[in-house]
This record gives sequence, C-alpha cells and structure tokens, in this order.
Amino acid sequence: MQDTSFIQYRLTNGLQIVIERMPHVPSAACGMLVQTGSRDEPDALAGAAHFLEHMCFKGTARRSWEQISIDLDALGAQHNAYTCKDRTFYYGWVRPEDVERQIELLADMMRPTLPPDQFDLEKNVILEEIAMAGDDLASVAYDALYEHLCPNHPMGWPVLGYANTIRDSSRQQMAAFAERRYAPRAMTLIVAGQVDPDRILAAAERWCGQWQDADVASVRTTPAMGSGQAIRTMSRFHQQAVLLAYPATTAGSPDEETAEAVAAILGGTNSRFYWNIVQKGLSRRAGVFYEGYADFGTIVLFALCESKNADTVLAAMQQEVRQLTEEGPQPHELQRVKNLRRTGLAGETEAPYYRLGLLADDLAYRGHPRSAAERLDAVDAVTAERVAGYLERFSLTGPGLLVSVGPREDLANSAR
Amino acid sequence: MHETLPEESIVHHRLNCGIDLAVMAMPERPIVAFLIRLLAGYAFERPEHLGVAHVLDEAISKGTARRDGRALNDAFDAIGAAHSSYAGRETVGLVCTCLPEFVAEALDLHAEMIRTPTFPDDACHTAIELTRQSHAALEDDPGELARKLLHRHAYGPPLDRHLYGEKETLDRLDREAVVAHWQQFFSTDRMHVTVAGAVDPARIADQLEQAFEGLTQPADDRQSPAVEPASQAAWPIRFQSGQWHYDKQLEQQQIALCYPCAAVTDEDFPVEQVLVAVLAGGMSGRLFTEVREKQGLVYWVDAWTDHPRAGGMLHMGASTTPQRVDQTYATLLRELDRLGEDLSADEVDRAVAGLLTSIQTRGDMTRARAGRMADDLFYHGRPIAMAEKIERIRSVTIQDIRRYLQRYPRDRLAVVTLGPQRLTI
Repeated sequence: MQDTSFIQYRLTNGLQIVIERMPHVPSAACGMLVQTGSRDEPDALAGAAHFLEHMCFKGTARRSWEQISIDLDALGAQHNAYTCKDRTFYYGWVRPEDVERQIELLADMMRPTLPPDQFDLEKNVILEEIAMAGDDLASVAYDALYEHLCPNHPMGWPVLGYANTIRDSSRQQMAAFAERRYAPRAMTLIVAGQVDPDRILAAAERWCGQWQDADVASVRTTPAMGSGQAIRTMSRFHQQAVLLAYPATTAGSPDEETAEAVAAILGGTNSRFYWNIVQKGLSRRAGVFYEGYADFGTIVLFALCESKNADTVLAAMQQEVRQLTEEGPQPHELQRVKNLRRTGLAGETEAPYYRLGLLADDLAYRGHPRSAAERLDAVDAVTAERVAGYLERFSLTGPGLLVSVGPREDLANSAR
Repeated sequence: MHETLPEESIVHHRLNCGIDLAVMAMPERPIVAFLIRLLAGYAFERPEHLGVAHVLDEAISKGTARRDGRALNDAFDAIGAAHSSYAGRETVGLVCTCLPEFVAEALDLHAEMIRTPTFPDDACHTAIELTRQSHAALEDDPGELARKLLHRHAYGPPLDRHLYGEKETLDRLDREAVVAHWQQFFSTDRMHVTVAGAVDPARIADQLEQAFEGLTQPADDRQSPAVEPASQAAWPIRFQSGQWHYDKQLEQQQIALCYPCAAVTDEDFPVEQVLVAVLAGGMSGRLFTEVREKQGLVYWVDAWTDHPRAGGMLHMGASTTPQRVDQTYATLLRELDRLGEDLSADEVDRAVAGLLTSIQTRGDMTRARAGRMADDLFYHGRPIAMAEKIERIRSVTIQDIRRYLQRYPRDRLAVVTLGPQRLTI
C-alpha cells in the first residue's frame, strides 16, 4: 500500500477538517460531508435534504446559479453531490493547485440563499427525477423495500421525497431546514491527495471560520424493522424484483466487515448466488448487499428475474443462505473476499476521488478516518468462526421481510 | 515495428505471434491493469446468429481444457485479480486489475481462457438463456431501449445491431454457433493487448509470445461472414435520417437523436471533443443550463459521441414527462443551432479546462491509462502520446468549432421517441 497520513482539525465553530496526504498522486479531491439525510426530515418535508442539495447549486450571497456552474466548470473539476438517508455529500476532483479555490466554492455553496424563482423552477427538476425513478424497476423496488423495512419512520420514505411533498414545500420551510441542519458542527471538510495541509487549514479557516456555531436540532430515532411480505403488482414491468431483507449489524461495529464478507460470499463475484442462481439461468442478476447505518443495518438478498421464475429464485436464495448457515464458509471463499479487497484497496490509493467516499463512511460511522492498511487489517480479521457467530446473532434463515415488485400478484415464501 | 514514446515510456510492438502490444511502464504504481481486445464484437456476427458475441462473452470463463469454470474463477480469486469481460460492437474485451506480483499469472489465466475454452453445453445453454432474459429485460430499461431503436434506424448494417441480438436469432443459437464465432475471430492477428502499471515491458512481451504462439488464423478463415470488409477493416456508418415513435406506458418520454460527426482519426476530432464539452461537459454546459436549469424540463439531459472504427455519430438524449416533450425537443435542436451563433471564448476555455483536468485526474488512473492505449491501438494503430493529445485539445479555437459545425451540420437527424406521446413538432 502507498503511504498516506491523516490530519484532523476542528475549527472553533465546530467544523471538522480531515486531510489525507497522498503525495504519490498528481491530483486532489475535496468534499463537504453534511450529516443530514432524508431520515432527518419532518414528514411534511419528505425529500427536503435532497431538494436542499439541489438548491446549494442555485445561488448564494456571492454567486448566482450561473456563476456557481461556471466556477465549478472553470476548475475543470469532476464534481457532483448526492443525498442518501443519513448524509449529503458534495465533492470534486481537481488539480492540486485548484484545491483552495474548490474549498472556497464549496464553502460558499453551503450557505445558499434559495432564490425564489430558482426554488420553484427546481421543483420541476425534482419532479422529473421522481418520474424517472418511477420508470426504473430497481429504484421502485428499493423504495418499496425501505417503505416496509422502516415503517412509520423517515428512513422509510424515498430520498427524493414524494411529488406532493415537493410541490407543497415552501421556501421558508426549506430555509429553516437548512439553518437547522447545515450547522458547522454537523459538517466535515474532507480533502485527499497531493496537498499542503497548512494551506488547506488556512483556506478552511478563511472561508468557513465565520460560520456561526449552532446545535443540530433533531435527534435521530432508530427505526423498528418491519417484517412480513409486501407484493406490489406493477404489470407494466416485464421482470420481477424479489428482495428479502434481514436485520444486520450497524455500520462501524466490529461485525461490519463480517457482514460485508457474508454478503460477498453469498452474492458477490464468483459467489454462491452467481453459480447456483445466475449460472442456473434462473436470474440474470442476483446478489446480496449490506447496508449499515449508525443505529440500523440490513442484509438484503435480491434478484431481478422473469416473473415466472420468481418463486424458484426466492427458494434458491433461501437455500443458499441455509447452506452457508449450516456448513459455514469454505476457506477459499473467505480468502477470495480478502484477496479481491486487497486489490481494490490498492487501486483506491491512486484515486483521491474514491478515497473521499471511504473517508466519509469512516467519519460518519467511526468518527475517525482509516488508512487502506487499517481497512485491510479489518478484512483480514474475518474468520470462519466469526462468520458462524455472526449468522447465529443475525440469522438470515427466518421469514425476514419479503418485498417484490413486478407483474406477479403473489409469491410463495417457504420460510413464512 | 517498434517505437518508444519518451514522455510516457510506452513501448509498442507487433509481436511475432501477431499481437499488437502496448505497455506503459509505471514502476511507482501499486497495481497493474491490462486489456485484451479482439476484433470479434457483434458487428462480426453472422446475421442469423445475432447475440452470439455476448453469449460467447458469458460462456468463455466457464471452463478451459485444464479446469472447469469454478476452478478457473477460483484461480483468479487466488491471486486477487479483478477480471471482467464485455462484448462490444466491434471488439470483445477482457479486462483485469491485479497486484504487480501477480501479473504473469493473470496473463497466463487469460491466455488459457482465450486459447482453450471448452464452452460446456450447459454453460452455453445458460448463457443463451441469460441473454434472452437480458433482451426481454430491455423493456424495463427505457433509456437503453430508446438507444437500441435509434441505432437500428440510424446506423445501417451491421452497426445497427444490439448486443443482445434479436429474439428469433437467440432462438437459433447453440454451442456450435458460439464455437464457430470463437474459432473465426479469436486469433492473435485480431488482438490488441495494453498493459499499464509496475511491469517490465520486455517480460510482458516474452510471456505473450509464448502464451499465444500459433494462435494466428489461416488466411482462408479470416473473412467475416457478416459483411465485407473482413478482418481488421472497419464498416462505415450508413446513416438513415427520419423520425420514429414507439408507444410505451412510461412515466417519462425518452428522446434520442443522432447525426453523423467526425471519426476519431479525423483531424477535427479534438474540435469535436471540445464542442461536445461545450454542449454537455459540465454544469455550465449548454444543455444542462438551457434545458434543465433555465426551463426545468428534465432531470437528465446529455450529449455524447459514439465512434465505430470508421465513423462518428453525435447523440443527444433527454427524458421528460410527456407534456414537456415538444418543448424539450425544440430546446435540444435550438441549442445545437445556437452553437454556431453565439459561442464565447469563455465557454471554449471552460470546455478545454474540463477535458484537460479530466486527463490529469480520472485519466491518470492505471486502469484508465491501459484503456486509453487500447483505444489508440483500435482507432489509430499506435499509442498516441498524451502530450500530443493535450496540445491538440488546447489549440482548439472558436473558429475551429464554427468550421466544424459547417462541416457537420445537423441538417439530417435520426430521432426516436419512446413513451406515451408522439412529438407534434
């Protein structure tokens, strides 16, 4: 692994700064992590975190929306932003000499003025984004999964919100939401690449130091995980999406890498699902993913298949889980996970842009950054005994929560 | 043939075994990336066997003369080699990233897979079935379905095909068709190999010479059955303009359009790169600004180019709710026209800056370097020094773009709409 080192600092207003020096790369990446996602929204404002992310590109005290776009592009940056259930992240990848300019621009964007005309116009863009997601089976299925996985909880609604909450939201509500949620104490400036830390800290102090310290208003509540079965019949889709969800460990816990390994052994590259479901012609896409949050986690078995195969695919997924639970992983399966992770981590050390995402995970769930070597140590610590112990504590053999979207009206869940 | 480009330490060989090899030695890199490309994509398929290149791609890793599919994939896993493959229009590619100490083993495993695949009956049957399912699943992917329909109408044979073939041709596929495609097109004289990372170019060349010796096809077997010209030549785009609508129940209407543009080998290709960046290269790109930010018509709008070996097509696409489809379409065309009217030096500067920064950031990754060399071999027959590419982009002027727009006017368009509503303009 290439040598890197971290510098952590906090401004007096609470803004955290994390720098990973990567002297071996010819570029740098910079991002602003905001601990605000859809789970922090009141129900009348479902979609507000994502809407606010859009509005951060739409005007500040110093820049119009056109100027923000021009200045971002003038940096030549590959830049973007995303919102998920528990965070918003703005980030870009630039030449080393442009990092301070990027920090200034990002800092300015974090204090949007929400111009009224842009606020109304941007609603149309988000309504189009919601419509686009409605044509995508995987998106519809994912949203249906969380609706039933986290019932009566903000984690249960789509990050994009609903058409009615977007239409009905007011600029005043959005301003209040932004003031509550974009406090410096809830934000972290992350920089990785070929950078001079002193200059980064000086730029952060200059452009973010005047932000007023404030408490972050809301207290997150932990969702109670739903179970049972939910079939959403949508005949306009050709395929059937089948998802089976179970409770899992939280992000940042000592079991996180074990959960990731279980998902990879069952549903990753060269996995049991690949050979026993995909390569049996039952489904062109079947796998397992782990999603962890600070207080909540789930492992989801999923497949996209012809609707006539859905029962067989569901039974096959459950059979693979039973077998892994009863017999444990094979040594070569664990080694595969470790070997591939080693190659992947080596590749990430040459790309500051990709390091940002990993650092954001570490900071959100562990409170401190990890080097690639530390990550690898955590992967190497996963053993067959740990997997067995994990599957005892977080069983994947019960009924779980079955969600299916597609032409079918029913599915036969043998584990009911 | 042998040349060394000092700026990037690229060694380019035509090996005795027939492989066109380019190696970029980057001793400081933590990984190695390599691509093996064969001129065996779906444009080369027999018309009655459309889809066979994708089936071959699915089946080739399912067994060799030495080991079955699981053992082969386990061998890759044992060295942590992240490998994948794809079937494209003109090429089939095998892509691998690994740690430097495992590159020899990874190359040997690829040679084994390319030279001695067994294509087991059950693996071929499954690959055909999965391809059939993927073909049917296009109904759930309106963006890709619209692009498939646009290609079918606009490109002319055989570039008008789709990766997954057609239902009736998939029904005809069997193991023999897969083996025939492999026998005909998997030969070293149709193979490009590019390697980037911490490697010794001479050792790579020696290894490939040994691993692929004798895989050159007899001259009689080289003719493409699809259309002429065969082997390493390229097909021109036979552009067909028109407007086609496909009715489908969707939340959004898909708009896909294209018209011919410069080939990668054309001297105006850097001008085209800048022009597309002005249109869609960032947040200040004209499409994003005019269609999304000023009018709120879409979430997604884009422009890009598609380059078969011997031509180019400029594409634009957007998806919008049906009541906005006419306005969105009119704005797309208006923005194309406006390029020739009020382009500014600032826009060109931003587009150039974006392209150059992309080269220095994402383009610097080891895997991207290997990919770029593979593109150079495919289009130009030789690796092009990055300094040369940068200089050509940097020197593009507004006058160049205006001249380009006159040379490639949008006077003939192919347009496909997919969704509940026809265009009324």
